[in-house]
Amino acid sequence: MISWNAILAIAYKEFVHVWRDRRVMLLIVVLPPFFTFLFGHAFANSTIQDVPAMYFDADNTEQSQAFLALLKGKDIFDWRPWNGDPEGKIELFPAGVEAAIVIPKGWGQGLRNGDPKPIRGVLDGTDTNTAPSVQGALQETLGDYQGKQRDDLISNLPDEVIDLGKQLPPEIRHQFSSMMTPWDVKIETLYNPNLLFIDYVLPGIVGLILQLITVTLIASTITREREVGTLSQLMVTPLRQTEIVIGKVLPYLVISMFLIASTIAVGSLHFGVKFHQPLLLSITCLLFLLFSLGLGLLISAFSRTQTQAIQISIFFLLPVMLLSGAFAPLSQLPRPVRIVSEFFPLTHFCRAFRNVNLHHSHMGAIAGDLAFLAVGAIVTCAGASYLLRSIDE
Amino acid sequence: MPESLIVLKNLSKRFGKKKAVNRISISIQRGEIFGFLGANGAGKTTTIRMLCGLTKPTAGLGTIGDLNIWKDRFRIRSRFGYVPQKFSLYSDLTVGENLRFFAGAYRVPAGKIRDRTRKVLCDMDLEQRESERAGSLSGGYKQLLAIACALIHEPTLLFLDEPTAGLDPTHRQAIWDLIYELSQAGTTIFVTTHYMDEAERCTDVGFIDGGRLIAKGSPRDLKEGLKGHLLEVQVEPAMTAMFELRKLPGVFGADLRSGNLRLQAEDPDALLHSWQIHWPFPNLKFLGFNWVEPDMEDVFQAYSRGYYRPERDQVEAGQLAYKL
Repeated sequence: MISWNAILAIAYKEFVHVWRDRRVMLLIVVLPPFFTFLFGHAFANSTIQDVPAMYFDADNTEQSQAFLALLKGKDIFDWRPWNGDPEGKIELFPAGVEAAIVIPKGWGQGLRNGDPKPIRGVLDGTDTNTAPSVQGALQETLGDYQGKQRDDLISNLPDEVIDLGKQLPPEIRHQFSSMMTPWDVKIETLYNPNLLFIDYVLPGIVGLILQLITVTLIASTITREREVGTLSQLMVTPLRQTEIVIGKVLPYLVISMFLIASTIAVGSLHFGVKFHQPLLLSITCLLFLLFSLGLGLLISAFSRTQTQAIQISIFFLLPVMLLSGAFAPLSQLPRPVRIVSEFFPLTHFCRAFRNVNLHHSHMGAIAGDLAFLAVGAIVTCAGASYLLRSIDE
Repeated sequence: MPESLIVLKNLSKRFGKKKAVNRISISIQRGEIFGFLGANGAGKTTTIRMLCGLTKPTAGLGTIGDLNIWKDRFRIRSRFGYVPQKFSLYSDLTVGENLRFFAGAYRVPAGKIRDRTRKVLCDMDLEQRESERAGSLSGGYKQLLAIACALIHEPTLLFLDEPTAGLDPTHRQAIWDLIYELSQAGTTIFVTTHYMDEAERCTDVGFIDGGRLIAKGSPRDLKEGLKGHLLEVQVEPAMTAMFELRKLPGVFGADLRSGNLRLQAEDPDALLHSWQIHWPFPNLKFLGFNWVEPDMEDVFQAYSRGYYRPERDQVEAGQLAYKL
């Protein structure tokens, strides 16, 4: 028979341990909302902005200046002029920029003569995200400029040409005019219509903070008792392993609930993230927490010293941080790696949370993830109590 | 004949190749104060841990009451209290919180927790310190609190692993008074100690050496074996004499006791006789001798120096087995 009095005795004692440890209390109260605030701002905008870049207008014509004016209007760049050998080697790093362009002499002339010269561009490839974006932006600006030039050309066409055009067969004429208007895709964005990255990344931030804090907090509880010697004292009482495990998980569950509330409050009040289906989200959080706590407890029961417990936690948390899809979609990962990711509670938490909160999915859509979290919670807790049982045998 | 509460038959524990406890057989009667003596590393703590079901015996059998110490360990646990050698309570909890925690852990009914806590606080003289953190108590009070926690569920058997190690005489006395009171009330006490004066206070003692039980009996019986065999000589200078005498063949030990040299020798009569004919140390002055009453210190020394060669197979429950 499980005794609730015994469980409450352990839970109360465990809670007092944390409560009386002022430094840990401070960390618990201050860090999670602060981290949410910090990470939220760090990841609020995934768009690349203000890339330092320099230009050299060797052409210096009306055309080149018009193109540069368009470029300067783009947020992605932070332009500054530069002078040098337009043909020679261009060093970016010493100049403190990540991109450089040279508009070659005779560029404007070339456009008029039907012999367009390429603009020379130099990119810093160290950051694999920035370089392609910069290239894309350059290409796009050039396209815009070309379109503008074409529109000007058409509107300034002599009447004779228009008359000539009218003699063309209607199909050709329509095809021609279709070619002259820019084609467009009409996009309707669902689930996150304003493309707010924060809405996507918030579950990742909340989950990661929770994962880190719950696992490390609880990971040292059993090993601490082992080190201090109180574990033997516990083991000579009629306490059952299940009671010890439940008693230890309960207070940390309460603490983690508080953590969730504080991080969600920051997400909602400060970042304006909206939360849908609170019940389903709560169930997701609860199962995720139980799994994380069980995992921490398992680490704790498995380790011999507190140092070991913390080390094992870090070894576990490192891949979780990088591979659980907290900050970038899992689909970007290669297939075999994704299989590994499926073993992390955070992966399932993020997916379920996003499915509910962004896709407004119902229970059915996240049942698999919830089932995984539930099974994980049971397996880790049972594992921890088994390890406790076989402590000295 | 009182019934045996604890019965051990060839109980053994090995860690790898090391035999920490080697075929120990003891029986301990209900209400006894059993003193378990031995040097550090002799196997005392391992034996207690096996009795408490904390570590699995590798061979042999042990029972407490009618329950097997390993197979029924979960059922036995509510019947005994265990105070380990090392302070093992929660330092960041107060005295009262520690007691209430263990009351809960030992399944003391919720309605009785208050009364039990009051009772042990009062018995252990801890009432004034109920709201102090356990970690800030002095060594003596820590030990009293540890005993209080082990007694919260009114066990009929109490294991004390070196309860007085490192304590001042006042607290040692307090703890022994407590042991007597408990024993009076019918609690069986299993206590380990290094202090020989404490061994004297037990109703029965067992000596363990290198994992083997080498003697068991009442302090009186054990001392009886040494009677008429302990020679004290007055020699000057005493310190030099001690080292010289220790080198003699047939002498197991020579210790300074109140200025005299207490000798443990194979045949002290013959030795004395030979000295009366010829004193072999020209630089030492022989002043006199007398036969002394042995105490437990002597008994312990005699056993640990191999003065007695116990016939091991005969060291069974309640038997004195050694030859001189």
